[in-house]
Amino acid sequence: MLKTPSTRALLLLACLALLFVALPFFVGPYGIKFATRLIILSIFVVSLDFALGLAGLISFGHAAFFGVGAYAVYFVSSDEGAANVFVALGAGVGVAAVCALVIGAFACLTRGFYFIMVTLAAGQMMFSLFHDTDIAKGADGAYINIKPDLTILGHTLIDFDDRRVFFYVCLALLVFTVVALYMLARTPFGRVVQGLKSNETRLSALGFDAYRFKLAAFVVSGAFAGLAGALFACIDGFVTPDLFSWHQSGLAIMMVVLGGAGTLFGPILGALFYVSLEETLKTASLVGDFVSSHWLLGTGAVLVIAVLLSPDGLAGFLRNAARPAKKALLQPLGDAPAEPRRASILATKDLAKTFGGLRAVDGVTISFEPDLVHAIIGPNGAGKTTFTNLLSGALKPSAGEVTVDGVNVAGAPAYKIARRGVGRSFQRTNIFATFTVEENCRLAAQARHPSVVRLTERLSGSEQAKVAHALTVVGLADKADTIAGAMSNGEQRQLEIAMLIASGGSILILDEPLAGMGPEETRRVIDLLRDLKKNHTIVLIEHDMDAVFAVADTLTVLALGRLIAHGTPDEVRRNEEVITAYLGGHAPEIETEGAKS
Amino acid sequence: MSLVLVQILNGLQYGLLLFLAASGLTLVFGILGVINLAHGSFYMLGAYLAVTLTAQFGDIFVALAVGIPLAFVFGAAIEWLFIRHLYKRDHLQQVLLTFALILVFKEVQQTLWGNHPLSIPTPSYLSSSISLTPDLGYPVYRFALMGICVALALAMMFVIQRTRVGRLIRAAESNPEMVEALGYDSRILYRMVFAAGVALAAAAGILAAPIESAYPGIGDRVLIISFVIVVIGGIGSIRGAFLGALLIGLADAFGKVFVPEFSSVLIYAVMALILVVRPSGLFGRA
Amino acid sequence: MSERPLLEARGLNTYYGASHVLRSVDFHVGRGETVSLLGRNGMGKTTLMRSLMGLVVPKSGDIRFAGVEVRGWRPSAIARAGVGFVPEGRGIFPNLTVEENLVFAEREGADGRRDWTREAVLDLFPRLAERRTNWGNQLSGGEQQMLTIGRALMSNPSLLLVDEATEGLAPLVRDDIWRTLRLIADRGVAIVVVDKNLDDVVKLCRRHIILVKGQIVFEGDTRALAANDDFVRSQLGL
Repeated sequence: MLKTPSTRALLLLACLALLFVALPFFVGPYGIKFATRLIILSIFVVSLDFALGLAGLISFGHAAFFGVGAYAVYFVSSDEGAANVFVALGAGVGVAAVCALVIGAFACLTRGFYFIMVTLAAGQMMFSLFHDTDIAKGADGAYINIKPDLTILGHTLIDFDDRRVFFYVCLALLVFTVVALYMLARTPFGRVVQGLKSNETRLSALGFDAYRFKLAAFVVSGAFAGLAGALFACIDGFVTPDLFSWHQSGLAIMMVVLGGAGTLFGPILGALFYVSLEETLKTASLVGDFVSSHWLLGTGAVLVIAVLLSPDGLAGFLRNAARPAKKALLQPLGDAPAEPRRASILATKDLAKTFGGLRAVDGVTISFEPDLVHAIIGPNGAGKTTFTNLLSGALKPSAGEVTVDGVNVAGAPAYKIARRGVGRSFQRTNIFATFTVEENCRLAAQARHPSVVRLTERLSGSEQAKVAHALTVVGLADKADTIAGAMSNGEQRQLEIAMLIASGGSILILDEPLAGMGPEETRRVIDLLRDLKKNHTIVLIEHDMDAVFAVADTLTVLALGRLIAHGTPDEVRRNEEVITAYLGGHAPEIETEGAKS
Repeated sequence: MSLVLVQILNGLQYGLLLFLAASGLTLVFGILGVINLAHGSFYMLGAYLAVTLTAQFGDIFVALAVGIPLAFVFGAAIEWLFIRHLYKRDHLQQVLLTFALILVFKEVQQTLWGNHPLSIPTPSYLSSSISLTPDLGYPVYRFALMGICVALALAMMFVIQRTRVGRLIRAAESNPEMVEALGYDSRILYRMVFAAGVALAAAAGILAAPIESAYPGIGDRVLIISFVIVVIGGIGSIRGAFLGALLIGLADAFGKVFVPEFSSVLIYAVMALILVVRPSGLFGRA
Repeated sequence: MSERPLLEARGLNTYYGASHVLRSVDFHVGRGETVSLLGRNGMGKTTLMRSLMGLVVPKSGDIRFAGVEVRGWRPSAIARAGVGFVPEGRGIFPNLTVEENLVFAEREGADGRRDWTREAVLDLFPRLAERRTNWGNQLSGGEQQMLTIGRALMSNPSLLLVDEATEGLAPLVRDDIWRTLRLIADRGVAIVVVDKNLDDVVKLCRRHIILVKGQIVFEGDTRALAANDDFVRSQLGL
C-alpha cells in the first residue's frame, strides 16, 4: 500500500518545490513557460499514477482525458471575453470525468492485455474524432483567443495571460493534485483501490464489487488528467488533435514507471528526468550535432536500458532501508466485537458444473448446518475445488442451486455471495501481498460496508476492534506491521483466515488451510477451527486426515464429481464405497471415469 | 451497385493485409505472452524495405522474396537483444520497452529514408485494370495482392495445422512447460515465432507499399488497427484474427464511403460492441 | 559404468520463493530400477521430481544423470539426455490429436535406442490406437494419462518420472496404468513414481522413499516398508 514518502524523498520534494517557487525570479519568459509545461505534465502523470500505480489499471489512452480537458477550455472560451477560470478548469475536469466514465464503463469490463488495448483504442478513437471531423476546426487545431481569467466586480484577480501568475496557479494545482490523491489513497476507498492492483480475486471474494471500484478510480484519474489538459490549453491558447496521440499516453506511462509507479510523487521525478533527458539530447551545444540531430534515438535507447535495468524506477532509490517494524499497536485483548451473530445455513441442490464434456461436479445435494465443521474429502480431481468455487460464486453452476439461509444465490457474482456472509480461503494462498498484515484485515473488515464513496474512517472504531480480534485469534497480533507477502506460507494462510474473521462472514469455506503448515501451526489452526465453529458454519477441504478426523463434525466424500458419502466421521470411515474411492483398496468400478466426448 | 462492389473488394484487400499484420501480433502474444507495441514498426520496415529493394531489383515481388527473409533475421536479432528479457516481466514493462523501441525505429527510419512519403512503382505488367462491369475497372495489382495474402494465409494455416513446427507452436500455446520437458528448447522456438511475426508484418508492409506508398507514420495506424483486430478476434486466435481483419477491412471501406468523417470511429465502435457481448473476443479463451 | 547409478542427486536444496521445500535430499536410481516416492501432500515429492527434470533449479546440490552433471541444465536438455516426464495433472496438449501428441515427442534415445516407436506405444495402449485422431481434450482422464505415459516413452527415455499417474482415476483404470508401468519397467526403463496408494506402489516398485517436510525419513525395499508398517502408515496419513 501507499507509504508515507521517506524523509529523503520529502526533502527532495521540498527542495524541488522551493526551487520552482523561486524560479520565475531567475529565468526569462521562455524558462517560465518551459517550467509551466513541466508542472502541467507532472499533474498529468501523477493523475495517471493513481490509475496505473495504485489501482493497477494500465491505461494506454490517458492522453484522451488530457485532450478533452484542453478542448473543454476551447469550447467554453469565446472571442468576446475571457472565460471564468473556474468555469474553464471545471469544464476540463468535468468533461474528462464524463469521458472517463464512458470509456471506463467498457474498459473496466476487461482485464490485462484487453484493458491496455481497449484504452489505447479509445484514445485513438478520440483522436480520430477530433482529427477527421470538423469539431473544433479538425486536424489543424484551434486557437483560444482570450485566455481565461478570474474577474470579480471589475477586478481581475487571476489572469492566465500573465505568465508568472499562471505558473504559480499551475504549481499550486500540482501540489493540490498530489496531496488530494495522496489523501484519497489513504481513505477506505483508496485502500480498496490499491487492493485491486494487489489481488482482485480476493477483493471480490471479500464482497467488493471490483468493477465499480475500478471505474471510480479510473474516473478520478481521468478527471485530474482533464485538469492538466485544461491548464495545458492555457499555455499557448492552442489545442490540437495531437494532444490525444497515443504517443503522449505512452510517454506518460514511461514517466510514471521511470519515476516509480504507485508512489504519486515518483512520476514527477520521472517527468523531470524525461524532459531533462530530451532537452539535453536536443541541445547541440551540450551533446554535439550528431546526437542532437538524432535525439529521439538517444531517448529511446536510454528508455530501453532504463526498463531493462530498473524495474522500480527512480523512486526506488529514495526508499528508506527496510524500516524496523513498529511495535504492535493493537490492544492485546481478544474479545469478539459485541455483535449478535447467527451463523447461516449453506446448502446446495442438484448442483452441477460441466467443463466441455467433463462433469466436474455432478448433481450434489447437501446442507451445511451452522455451528459445525463440515469436512469435504476426496481424491484429487474429485471436484472439491470446483465445488467450493461454485459455493463462493467464483464459478457459475451449469445447473442446480446454492442457497444461503434458503435464498438461492446460484449464478450471482462472487462479491454478492460474499456479502451474504460467505467467506472463503483459497487453495493457493490469496492475500494482498503488498499490504501489511493489519491493512489486509482492515480491508477485510471494511467489506461489511463496501460502498464506493467511502472517504472517511467513520466506522473505524468497531472495525479496528474486529481487526484486533481477528489478528489476536489467529495469533498474528505481533506481526500487524509486517508486509504480508514477506511472511511464511503458513502465516499467510493464518492471515487469510484472520481476514475471513475480520470480514464478518458467518460461513467460512476453507480450501486446504493446513497445506504447507508445520505441526505446531496445524495444531493452532485446529484449535482455532474448534473455537470458530461456535458461531460460524465451517466448510473445510483438507487432505490431512488426522486433522480432518480431529476437527470435523460431518464428513462429505466426493469422487468423480459425485457425493458418495455423507455423515459423521465414524459412519464415513466404515463406508465401503469411500474405502474404495479414496482410502485405497480395490472394488468394482463405480463408473466409467472422466469425460467421454 | 458498382460502388458497393468496389468497396467490398477494397475492404477484402485491406482486411487481408491487416490479417498478415495482426496474425503476427496475435501469434507473438499467444505464445510468447508479450505485448509488442513495436509491431507497427515492422510493418513500416516492410514498406521501406519495399522502397529500397524495389529500387535495387526493379520488382516488388523480388523485393517481397528478399524482404521476408531479411525481416525474419532482423526479428530474430530483436528477440535476442530485447524481447527475450520480457518473458518473465509484467505487461507494463513489455509495453514500455516496446514503446521505447518504437522511438528508436522511428529515428532510424528518418535517418535512413527521410521524412517524405516515398512511392513504389506497381510492376508494369500488373498496372492495368480488370473490367468488372462495362464501366468499372479494378487494378490488377490489387487482385494479385489479395491472391498473395490468401496464399500466405493458407500457407500459415498449413504450417500450423500440418507440420512439425506447427505442432510445436500449438503445443507451446497450451503448455509451454511440457514442450520444454519433452526436449524442445523453448528459447529457439520463441525466437522463431517472434521472427515469424516480424516477417509477417513486414510482408504486409511490402505488399501494401505500391498502394499506400511509404511514409513515417505508416506503422502507427496499422499497429492500432491490428490491436483492435486481435482484441476482436480473441488473443492468440489466428482464426479470430482472420475474421476480425476482414470485418475491420470491410467496416473501414464502407465507413469511408458512407460516413467519411467517422470511418475511424466506426472501427472502434465495432470493437466496443463486440467486447460488450464477448469480453474476451470472438474466439478468446475466457 | 554399471556400478554408477543412472541418476544420482546429492544434497539437493530447492526453494519456492522464500519457502525451503527440499532440504538436503540425497536420491539415486539405478538402471532399470523402480523407485517410489511417498509422502503426504506438500511434503516435496513433486518438487523433487521437478528438480530432477530441471523445471525448478535447486539452489544447491548436484544431480548427475548417466554420469554427467545436469543441475542447471534446461529441462529440454535433460529430456534429451534421456529423462521422460509424466507430470501431475497429465499435461497433454489439448489442441493436438492423440497421434500428434505422440509424434511430438518422437526421438531416438540418448543411447541410440529406438525401442519405442509409435506402433510399440499404440500396442501398449490399444485404447489410444482407437482414438488416434481425437483431440487431446476429447479423451477421458484415464486415456489422457495413458497418452502422457505413451508420449514420454516416444522419446525412448532411460528414466521415466511419473507424478501421480493414478490420481482421480477409477480403480479399474488405475490397475490398467499400473500393469502398463510394470510392462515398461520390464523392458528396462527405470521408473520413479509419486503416488499415495501404498498397495499399488509396492506392486511396481522395489525401493521406497518417504519424504516428510522436504526430508527423507525412510528409505528401504518393500520388505522394510512392511516391517515398519506403523511408522509408514502414520507418515502417510493412512
